[in-house]
Amino acid sequence: MRKQYADAKLDMTPMIDVVFQLIIFFVVTAAMQDKLMETNVRMAMAPNGPVEEVKDPRTVMVDVVENGAIQIMKTNISEAKLFTLLNNARKTSGQSTPVVIRGDWATKHEAIRRVMDICGKAGLWKIRFSALKEKA
Amino acid sequence: MTPMIDVVFQLLIYFIVTTKPIDVITNLDVFRPAPDQTAKPEEKPPNLVRVGIYQDGYTVNDVPATLELLDVALAKVASIDAGQTIMITVSAVSEHGQLVQALNLCAKNGLKSLSVVSASN
Repeated sequence: MRKQYADAKLDMTPMIDVVFQLIIFFVVTAAMQDKLMETNVRMAMAPNGPVEEVKDPRTVMVDVVENGAIQIMKTNISEAKLFTLLNNARKTSGQSTPVVIRGDWATKHEAIRRVMDICGKAGLWKIRFSALKEKA
Repeated sequence: MTPMIDVVFQLLIYFIVTTKPIDVITNLDVFRPAPDQTAKPEEKPPNLVRVGIYQDGYTVNDVPATLELLDVALAKVASIDAGQTIMITVSAVSEHGQLVQALNLCAKNGLKSLSVVSASN
């Protein structure tokens, strides 16, 4: 029995093909993830801030750019629209839906306050500020 | 094998050149009192630490302070009671970066109970 397989050679080609497919798959999906996180905001540094291990899938990201405009996924959005959006978020996923505010470090607090007030009006109280822990 | 190794090297070089490292993001938790609650009369219980953020600097319990002094004060507060509520009052014209810096110091000293209030002026 053993003698029969003694000179058998392992063909590597299919395995290499599969590995390449996997590499391409992961590279493409990783790039898509990056797109969601993209922002025009230059965040302030907070080297002592905690790192979030588990991300709540309900999280709403609100960006506040330097001139005080409110953006969601790089699109300008009016205050009324933001209110409707957050109100819907509360209706569908509850009051503990986290809102992450990514504010530009040079933005006046005025603009951030507007976003926080809208969150309050919409009944959302879990507010977090995003900052850079380490600059790459 | 040689052509395959050549291709793999090409791919390796391509990915090394194109990938840029991503920044590490942190999220600073705050507690935000509802807007209608701010209408409450000004009572200042002694166990509340008030931090003010203004365009030109910080205050701790109404005493002007630099960022370093704020750090020292917060460290002192945390050494007594880390569960202490810090009320952060932010002036509308101050920069958001200043608030983040103050929150950063709170996180550094392990203070968790943070309340951010916007000053009306």
